[in-house]
This record gives sequence, C-alpha cells and structure tokens, in this order.
Amino acid sequence: MNFNPMPVIATSMLALGTLMAHADSTIDTIDQHVAFSGFGTLGVVHSDYNEADFIGRVDQLHGAGYSRSWSETPDSDLGVQANVTLTDTLSGVVQVLSRDKGDGNFKPDVEWANLNYQITPDLGVRLGRMLLPSYQHSESQNVGYTLPWVRVPIEISYTATAEHSDGLEVLYRLKTGSITQNLQAQWGTTTEDLPGTPFGATHAHIVLFSDTLQCGDTSVHLLYQKFDALVSSPVQFRLVSAGFTYDPGGWFLTGDSNYTQDRYFGDFLSWYVSGGVRLGRFTPYAVYSTTEAPNVGTSGLRKLGDERTVSAGVRWDFVRNFDIKLQLQHVTIGSLDDPASFGNLQPGARVGDKANVLSLALDFVF
Amino acid sequence: MNTSALGALILAVFSVTSVWAEDIVVIVNPTAAPISREQIADVYLGRGDAWIPIDQAVGSEIYVEFYKKLTGRDSAQIKAIWSRILFTGRGVPPKQLRDSAAVKKAVAANPNAVGYIEKSAVDASVKVALPID
Repeated sequence: MNFNPMPVIATSMLALGTLMAHADSTIDTIDQHVAFSGFGTLGVVHSDYNEADFIGRVDQLHGAGYSRSWSETPDSDLGVQANVTLTDTLSGVVQVLSRDKGDGNFKPDVEWANLNYQITPDLGVRLGRMLLPSYQHSESQNVGYTLPWVRVPIEISYTATAEHSDGLEVLYRLKTGSITQNLQAQWGTTTEDLPGTPFGATHAHIVLFSDTLQCGDTSVHLLYQKFDALVSSPVQFRLVSAGFTYDPGGWFLTGDSNYTQDRYFGDFLSWYVSGGVRLGRFTPYAVYSTTEAPNVGTSGLRKLGDERTVSAGVRWDFVRNFDIKLQLQHVTIGSLDDPASFGNLQPGARVGDKANVLSLALDFVF
Repeated sequence: MNTSALGALILAVFSVTSVWAEDIVVIVNPTAAPISREQIADVYLGRGDAWIPIDQAVGSEIYVEFYKKLTGRDSAQIKAIWSRILFTGRGVPPKQLRDSAAVKKAVAANPNAVGYIEKSAVDASVKVALPID
C-alpha cells in the first residue's frame, strides 16, 4: 500500500490554524497562531562541457551542457511555509517546495509537515515528515539564502540518498559548561526515489542518531544513519558523517565528510572544505569537493560518482532579504559511472574530462 | 566618472557601518537571574536557551549596532542564521517590537524575556544585565 499521509496532515494543520485564527477574527490573533514565510532561488547555470548535463541535485536528470547551454533547472526553487502555534508546548510546521526533482517539472512537494511537542525547554518530540540531518546543510539545502554558496557541494549529497523521513524524532539539548549538544534520534520510513539507480522508489526504514555540538562560533556535526529497504533489495546503506564550521562573523571555515557503506554499491567517501571572507556586503569564497568509491560492491560498479571540483564565487547581499551569487566551478570527471555533478552522460564522455561551469543565483526570503 | 565619485560609490557599496552614538544596554526583568554576554549572544543567534529574546525593528540603527557589537555580524548574516532555524522547523525569529518603550514593556512583563534598549531609556521597570560596547 502506498498511502501518503502528508497532504492530510498538512491540510489538517492549516485548517486548524485558520479555524483558531478566525475564531478570534483579529489580525493580531492570526499573527499569533499562524505565521507564513517563504524562500526561493532564481538560478541559471552554464556549462562548457557538451558530453553531459551539469545538474544541481543528485535526483535531476537534465541540466546545462549537453541538452542546453544555459539551464535554470539545477538551482531554481520556491518554498512556502506555515508555522502553526497551537499551545505553549505544541506547534506545527508545514513546508511545500517546488523544484526540479528529476522529471523537469516543478511539481510542489511537501518537504516538512510535523507536529512538535516540547516536553521541557530542552526535550522535544516531533512527529511527521522531516528532512534528514544527514550532513551539515542537508535540512536547509533548499534555502539558498542560508548558504554561503550557490548550492551545497553535490558530492556530499551523492553519498546520502534519502532526503526526508516520515516518522518520529526526539531532540534533547544538553548543556555542559560552554558546550551545547543537540542530540537527535529519528525513526521513520522514506520513499525517496532516485532516477537511474536500480532500487528506484525503494521504501526503506531509516534510523539515525546525530549530535550537533555548539561552542561559541564553532559547531561540529556528527551522524550515524542506517537505511534498510523494506522490500527485497540488496541496498543497505550505513552512513557516518562528520562536519565542522567555524564562523566568528568576519570569515568562515567549514568542512564536511560522509562515509557510506553498502554491500551492493560498495563504499563511498565524499568530503569538502570551504572558506570565505566577509568584506562588507560581499563574501567571496572557495570550495574543494570530491567523492570517490574506495570499494567495489556486488553490483560490480567501480568508481561510482567519482569526481573532483574546485569552485570559487562571491555572495553579494545587495538589499535586505535578497542576495546574488556568482560561482565558477572546474569539475574533473573521475568515472563514467554516474559522476556526481552530471546526468545524461553521452557516449563521447571520457574519464579525465573537465567541465567549466558558471552559476548565477538570486536568493530571497520573505 | 571621476575618482571621488568612484570613491563614494565604493564606500557606499562596502559600508555597513552606522553613526549610532547612544550606549546600548541589555535589559531583563527585575526578578531575572544573571545572564552572561555569551548567553546573550547564543540567545540572539538562535543557539538555544530558555531565555526569550525580544528584538527591535530590523534595520533600525539600534538593531544594526546591537548585532554588530554583540555578534560581529550584519543584518544579512543574522537573517541567514534565523532563516536556517525557521525553514528547518527549529524555531521562529525573535519577536520584533517597534521601539524601546515596547521592548521595555515586554521585558517588564516576562521574567524570561531579554531585550536591548538605549541606556537613556532604562527605568525601574527593568534591570540592566549588561552594557553592550
């Protein structure tokens, strides 16, 4: 059975919020119970490599390069969110996002739809749909305005195939001296669909534990995630992730790494490091990102995803709630088996081929 | 374009400083426990605490100066930080009030609230927790 409860939960929460707001019928009360917000990115990408399409997300099939010289599909998106406050301890959030999820259309999808029950100020339980904290920016990767780059380096998401889960989360905040730990445990199922991979729309159990440690301007993110297909499938991912960010305001240094184990696909290691400096409204940055497959699985696929990318760019906060980013990338293809940044690989592609990619993005929040 | 016009343009583009001259103080309820500068920074950067932060209007002089002095960040960085918290369902940005009188009233009414106002606006309804300089 393939019943998706999310639209029902989402609609009920919106209806409940609206009902409560109308019961008092003043604008102030609406403000207190329901808050609407949103975000988006208008992006265009150009690639000089004609033997494949440069993509922005691993689930996309087409982008810039072979199909079209310029493409708006890799980075463009639009999201709207409603935060519903039901009582002092019970709240809900619904977020709907439109982006290219592979088939080229921007059909809206429910990204977040959950109820949060705050048992104590430091202990909360969420029930519903949540994005997975698989790596440092995985939960906010759709919100370009929150990122220093045009997009999260695709190599890091190549090794974390599921995006969200429907289930239960327990979040506990532990303060010891100047260190705050956000301990997170999730149990759920995912129905993530990755085009072009053998397991297709595999339904899977997800279990994860993560710890985000914050000490002043330093944060460290650690995660263990277990992904087991519900139906007969050789895919059993185990993901270990470790990342850090130091951001005292005037500059930042950040890095992230994923190690994925799977008997079928083999093992993957992906990581990136990035730094930037804030010069008034401009934040120039550089990134080095890579993914490789140190082990071969039973599928026999070698070097799945393999590539190296050097990027440089600048973010310009030109007016309140908007930024413009310009990013240049030089990608070296290390494998013809699904290199992370590319889809629609053509017969003329060769290992060692290089692509130069230019991305322009306008990010906004409202 | 002559050089002075170019200079003015560069200054305008790069400049995010203001000429705010008044001293800013962090205020809490008279019954509240002490709060440290690090705690205040954590509260206003959404790093989690039991305190409830109260904000001035975004982009107002006192807002810009407060965040610059307390956190070393400008309004766009603060917006990006709170956008990440908001759009990952972790919380909502601090409530913004229109002026220091409103902030003072909110802090006086809630023992968990923390706010910031001009030093000259302080009265007996609130307690100064920390000068921001």
